Amino acid sequence: MSRRRRLRDATLWLVVLAVTTAILIPFRAELDKAHITLVLLLVVLGAGAQGGRALGIGIGAASFLVFDWFFLAPLHTLVIANPLDWLVLFAFLATSIVAAQLLHREQESARIAGARADEVDRLATLGAEALAAARAEDALAAVASRIRESTGAESCSIYIAEERGVRLGAASPAVPAETPVPPLVDWVAKEGAPAAQTSGGTSRLGSTGFRVREIARKSDSEVHAILLPLTVRNQTVGVLRLEGGGIAHLDDSQWRFLDALAYYAALGTERVRLAAELANVEALREADRLKDALLASVSHDLRTPLTTIKALAHELGALGDERSQVIEEQADRLNRLVARLLDLSRLNAGAMPLHVELNAVDDLLSAALQDIEPRLAGRTLVADLPSDGALLVGRFDLSLAIRVLVNLIENAIKYSSPGTTIRLAVWREESNLLVSVSDQGPGVPAGEEERIFTPFYRPSSERPDAGSAGLGLAIARRMAEWQGGAVTYTRTSQGSTFTLSLPAADLKEL
Amino acid sequence: MPAARKTILVVDDEPQIRRVVKHALGDDGTRVLEAATAREGLDLAAAERPDLIVLDLGLPDGSGEEICRQLRSWTDVPILVLSARHSDSEKVALFDAGGDDYVTKPFSSAELKARVRALLRRAAAITAEGATKIVREDLEIDLDKRAVKLGGSPVHVTPIEWELLVALATHPGRVMTHRQLFTAVWRGRDHGDAQQYLRVYVAHLRRKLEADPVHPRFIFTIPAVGYRFGP
Repeated sequence: MSRRRRLRDATLWLVVLAVTTAILIPFRAELDKAHITLVLLLVVLGAGAQGGRALGIGIGAASFLVFDWFFLAPLHTLVIANPLDWLVLFAFLATSIVAAQLLHREQESARIAGARADEVDRLATLGAEALAAARAEDALAAVASRIRESTGAESCSIYIAEERGVRLGAASPAVPAETPVPPLVDWVAKEGAPAAQTSGGTSRLGSTGFRVREIARKSDSEVHAILLPLTVRNQTVGVLRLEGGGIAHLDDSQWRFLDALAYYAALGTERVRLAAELANVEALREADRLKDALLASVSHDLRTPLTTIKALAHELGALGDERSQVIEEQADRLNRLVARLLDLSRLNAGAMPLHVELNAVDDLLSAALQDIEPRLAGRTLVADLPSDGALLVGRFDLSLAIRVLVNLIENAIKYSSPGTTIRLAVWREESNLLVSVSDQGPGVPAGEEERIFTPFYRPSSERPDAGSAGLGLAIARRMAEWQGGAVTYTRTSQGSTFTLSLPAADLKEL
Repeated sequence: MPAARKTILVVDDEPQIRRVVKHALGDDGTRVLEAATAREGLDLAAAERPDLIVLDLGLPDGSGEEICRQLRSWTDVPILVLSARHSDSEKVALFDAGGDDYVTKPFSSAELKARVRALLRRAAAITAEGATKIVREDLEIDLDKRAVKLGGSPVHVTPIEWELLVALATHPGRVMTHRQLFTAVWRGRDHGDAQQYLRVYVAHLRRKLEADPVHPRFIFTIPAVGYRFGP
């Protein structure tokens, strides 16, 4: 087709040259050599512009002969009488060749510019399609079909590399989702290096940073499929596989274009991966909400039967049955355990309601003591307010702070013997309000000072059924942190000291 | 006049809870009426004029807050609320609507009895209308002379502390929310940021009246809700 066209162009311009010559011959006596060369040069330029560089130079050579034969004395010979005519003749030839060459260069750069514009156009369309698709999977499918179109491959598949393995993200033409992933795809995803497959079935592997075109070029037999790792921020997120359609015979600019397309494929893959991750997070959050709702419901619904159990135990106690007290205590313990599980769940989910207000430390201590004092079981509780009588205030959630303090005192009761003293102290240190709870117990085993604040912790020395779920300290610390405070542990010569720190406030003159 | 034979109305949809309350309060000649729904409770309250109502917060046919409001439109009868775990804001709404006190399930019979006794005592105190002196243990509040005495010695209180004390002491045994106290003391006057200092004023007042501020005898803290005069 192209050859026939070239032949037609050559014939056309030879005819033009012949006609021009025929027109010029009758006037050759009157015409100057310069006039003739200019007219012939026009023909040469026309041929070059229309038929390309080779035709331009060919017509130039033909014109050279025509000029010599028909217009330079002695006529109808290739002999040149006047040596100066040589100069004219060669100047003409050189001009023809240079002109054809220049024309060719211009045309070439115009063609390249056209191709670039086309690439930009395709990339823009691809980008727009990828962005406009509502679902990440649709965007990836659009990218796959564009890549197949632009490279002329028979099929294009994009695989997504996930923690669980590699799966097919999109393919053009579409294939069933359960189509097995070729082993070479796994290799590319794992190594982050390109690979190629020959029609014979052998695989040729590259290494990281190696260009797939090098593999395709160096391959001794025909390359049938190429595989490119898709990377985002230096991480392999997927694999692009192109098969058939002479995929190995792309030219440099097409390879370059493929690189750009691969980047889109990588972004599309990343989007699918992130969307899947988001869905996963949503599911986890939903599970968390359900857990919270379940705990809240259990905690609420337990209270009515527990009230009845306690009341019946109380009635039994009035009849002289000493076991009734145990029943009452255990009912309270069950109630506290469920309430704590609910607290922990809310703290973990960041869903604990918080009302930070200006509060006096007197309120905190008096309410906490009122709650805990019936449960001291033989320990003495001493609370020391600052000796100078200063009123300490802070910005915190009173309900939560009371629960933190009650938990710390309960912990002190649990790990100290009846007859010992639990001491509370309050003071201010810079911008913190500090409340310490000191017991005369054995202290926390060395090396476990931080672990005691993890949920379900039990000291290694404790019997497994010692009657605690190990939640009190974990909840105390998180409730303190939730309102901008902290709970810390220090060992003393007497036992243990837990210190609750809360943001202090300054009082204006009232 | 029949002697102080008290009538107590229990409104709770759980028969077991009604049984528990009846058993705890029904001795020493107290008559206990039962209602299982809000509607029935309101009707019984109107017909029998009980001396105290024990009201469950989670009735199937009406919110505790709404029932309190309806009762308060015609009676000052003390209302003791039974609540399973409810949020602080729900409690505040309940007291703002007119509830007097609450016990949280699972409560003990002793706790319930103590609260009921305190509320009945308050009702009796208020019935002695025209009293100008409130006396509790060694604390004496003279409403006419605007004077406070502790163990016989005068205590100096600022005007705001006085208003607070009166608001609390004239509602003994009743939980006063922060909002109710604020309204009673400042009565809509321009107050700047006084509301956030309410707790600080109470703390100052408590320092003047209580020998041991962390073991108060008169002013009790109800976390996130307000204060109560008397245990």
